[in-house]
Amino acid sequence: MHNYITVRTKSNKISFQLSKKVAMVTILLCILLCGMIMLALSVGSDFIHPVTVLKELFGYGTGEYLFTIQTLRLPRVLLAVLVGMALAVSGLILQGIIRNPLAAPDIIGVTSGASVGAMLFLTYATVSIHYLPLAAIIGAGVVSAIIYLLSWNKGVTPIRMVLIGIGISALTKGIVTMLIVMGEEVRTTRAYIWLTGSLYGANMQDVYLLLPWVIVLSIFTFVMARVINVKELGDDIAVGVGVQVQVYRLLFLLISVMLAGTAVAFVGGIAFVGLVAPHISRMLVGRSFAALIPISAMVGAIIVIFADIVGRTLFLPKDLPAGVFTAAIGAPFFIYLLFRTRNQHS
Amino acid sequence: MNSIKLISFRKMVMFLVLLFALVLVGCGNKESEDASNADDNNTTQESSTDNNSTENSSREVTHSLGTTTIEGTPTKIVTLYQGATDVAVAMGIKPVGVVESWADTPYYEYLQKDLEGIPLLGEETQPNLEEIAKLQPDLIIASKNRHEEIYEQLSQIAPTVVHQDVFDFKGTINLIGESTGKEDKAKELLAEWESRVADFQTKIKDKLGDKWPISASVVNFRADHARVYPAGYAGEILTELGFKGPKNITENPLPIVLRFTDKESIPQMDADVIYMFYIEDEATKKTLEEWTSHPLWKELEAVKNDQVYRVEEVYWNFAGGILSAHIMLDDIYDRFELEK
Repeated sequence: MHNYITVRTKSNKISFQLSKKVAMVTILLCILLCGMIMLALSVGSDFIHPVTVLKELFGYGTGEYLFTIQTLRLPRVLLAVLVGMALAVSGLILQGIIRNPLAAPDIIGVTSGASVGAMLFLTYATVSIHYLPLAAIIGAGVVSAIIYLLSWNKGVTPIRMVLIGIGISALTKGIVTMLIVMGEEVRTTRAYIWLTGSLYGANMQDVYLLLPWVIVLSIFTFVMARVINVKELGDDIAVGVGVQVQVYRLLFLLISVMLAGTAVAFVGGIAFVGLVAPHISRMLVGRSFAALIPISAMVGAIIVIFADIVGRTLFLPKDLPAGVFTAAIGAPFFIYLLFRTRNQHS
Repeated sequence: MNSIKLISFRKMVMFLVLLFALVLVGCGNKESEDASNADDNNTTQESSTDNNSTENSSREVTHSLGTTTIEGTPTKIVTLYQGATDVAVAMGIKPVGVVESWADTPYYEYLQKDLEGIPLLGEETQPNLEEIAKLQPDLIIASKNRHEEIYEQLSQIAPTVVHQDVFDFKGTINLIGESTGKEDKAKELLAEWESRVADFQTKIKDKLGDKWPISASVVNFRADHARVYPAGYAGEILTELGFKGPKNITENPLPIVLRFTDKESIPQMDADVIYMFYIEDEATKKTLEEWTSHPLWKELEAVKNDQVYRVEEVYWNFAGGILSAHIMLDDIYDRFELEK
C-alpha cells in the first residue's frame, strides 16, 4: 500500500489515489513537454539558441528575435499545446464512457460536424475568415446533437451511439465532398488544408479564446474522474453503485464535444490525437482515470507540438500542415492497436 | 463499504452555465475589440488622406482588406501569389522573395531568367512567415483568398497590400503600380494589352467574317474528373477577346469552374473551339482517353470541325499574370494563323 498516496477532501467530494509511478511519469512528461516547447521556440527558419529565446521572452534580449519568437512561434506553440490537450482529454473521456478503445472525437460527430460547418463557411460565407471557428463549432454542436438524439431510445447506449455516429459521419463526409466539388478552386485548396488540420497563422487571440475552455473543462473532468472510473465497469454496475448513468453520460459527452469542438474549430481536423494519446497514457500509467487526465493531456500536447515542428522545419521553406504528421504517427499506431486487440481475443 | 456520493446535478448545471457565460464574455470581448479596431482603421484612413496632399513620400493604398500606408518607394518586395510575381517582373521589379510555382517548381520556365536565385517562401497556400520576416521586405503583395488569415502578421512584417482574386491580372497590375509608385508603368502595361486585344479582334473578324464571334471553352482533364473553366483566368481573357462562352452553359455570371465526374456532362463542354490542358501522368491520360473516345465527345462542334487544341496549363491557368496572358494570346494568334 505504500505505493499509493491517497488524496481526499474533507467532504469526500473529491478523492483519488496517486501512485508513485504516476507521480514519476507526470514529472517526466512535464519535463519532456517543457523541453518540446523550448525546442519548438528555438527551431524554424533560423535556429535561435534556447538561452536567447528565454532572454527574449523575459525581456532581457536584444529584441533581434522578438518578433519571430513572440509573434510567429509562441502563439503557434501555445495553440499546439492547448489543441493537443483538448483533443486528448476529449478522446479519453469518450473511450471511458463509450467503453470502446477505438472511440475518438470523430465518432460522436465533432470532427465531421465541424468539417461541414467549416466547408459551408468556406463555400458560401462572405464575411471575414476570422469567423470560421464559429461556423466550425456550430457544426460540431449540431451534428453531435443529431447523433445523440437519433441514438435516444429510452436512454442512450454506447453501442447505438457508435453505430449511428459512424452512419452520420459517412453522411457528413459525403456533404463535405459535395461542397468541395461545388466550391471555387481557391476556396477548395483552403478547405483541404482545414480538413488536414494546421496550426499555421495562429495568433495570441486564438490562444486566449481556447485557453479558458481547456483549463476549466479539464479541471472539471478531473473533479468528476471517479464517476468515469465507475462507468468504465459498465452501465449495470454504475447504476448499482448509485451513478445516474444517463445524466452523466450526457454531461461527459457535452464536455467531450466542447473540448474537441473548440480545438478543431481553431486548427481544423487534426486526426488521431484524440484516439492515440489516451492509449499511450494507459500504457504508461494503467487505468486510473484521474491520473490519465493530466498524462493524456501532456501526451496529446507533445504529439501536436512534435507534428508541427516536423511540418514547419523538415521541408523548409515549405510550411506543411501539422495534421499530415499526426496522421503519419497515428495511423501506424492505430493498426498496432487493432493488431494487439486481435491477439488478446485469440 | 461507502457508497459514492456525487456532486449534485444542479451544481453541475450551474457550473456549466457559469462556464458558458465565461466563454461568451471572452468571445464578446473579441468582437468589440474587432469593432474598435475597425473604427481605428477608419479614422486613420480619414486623417491620413488629409496628410496625403501635403506629403508625397508616403502613399495610401486602399485594397480588399483595408488601407495601407507605404513610406517612400518600396524596393524590397515580396510577392505571395503567382500572378503578383508575374506582374512584378513585367513592371521591371525584381522581388526579394516569391512563392513556389504550381508546376516546373520552383519557378515557371518563362520567369526562370528573371527569378533565378530569388529566395523561395514555400507554397502560395501557406507561405512561410519566418522566411518572409527574415527578408525584411518593405512591401508584401498578398491575396485575400489565400492570405486573409495571416494579414495581421504580414502587416507586422511590412506594409501589406491585398488583392481579392489571384487570377485578375489587371487588378494586380493596378495594385502593384499604386503601391510601388509605378502608376505610369501600370497604365502602359494595360494600354499595351488593350491594343493587342483590339488588334486581335480586327484580325479575327477579317479572317472569320460573319462566323465571328465564335464560342470557346477551356477544358481540363484530371486523374478522376474533367473540368470546364467558363470564367476564371483563361475564361475571362477569352471573353475579353470577344469569344462567346461554352454553348450550353447559360448561367449568369459565368461560374469560374465546373467539375464533371460523369461523361453524360460532355455536352456542357460544347463550343466552336476547345482549348484543353492536362498533365502527363498515367491516370490523367486514362481519363483523357475515356472521355475523348466517348460517343458524346464526338458530337461536340469543335471535335467535328477538328478545332480541339492542347495548350500549356502554365500560361492558361497557373501563372495568372500579364506576361502569361501575352503568351496565351500569342498561342491563340498562332492557332488561328493570324499575323501578330
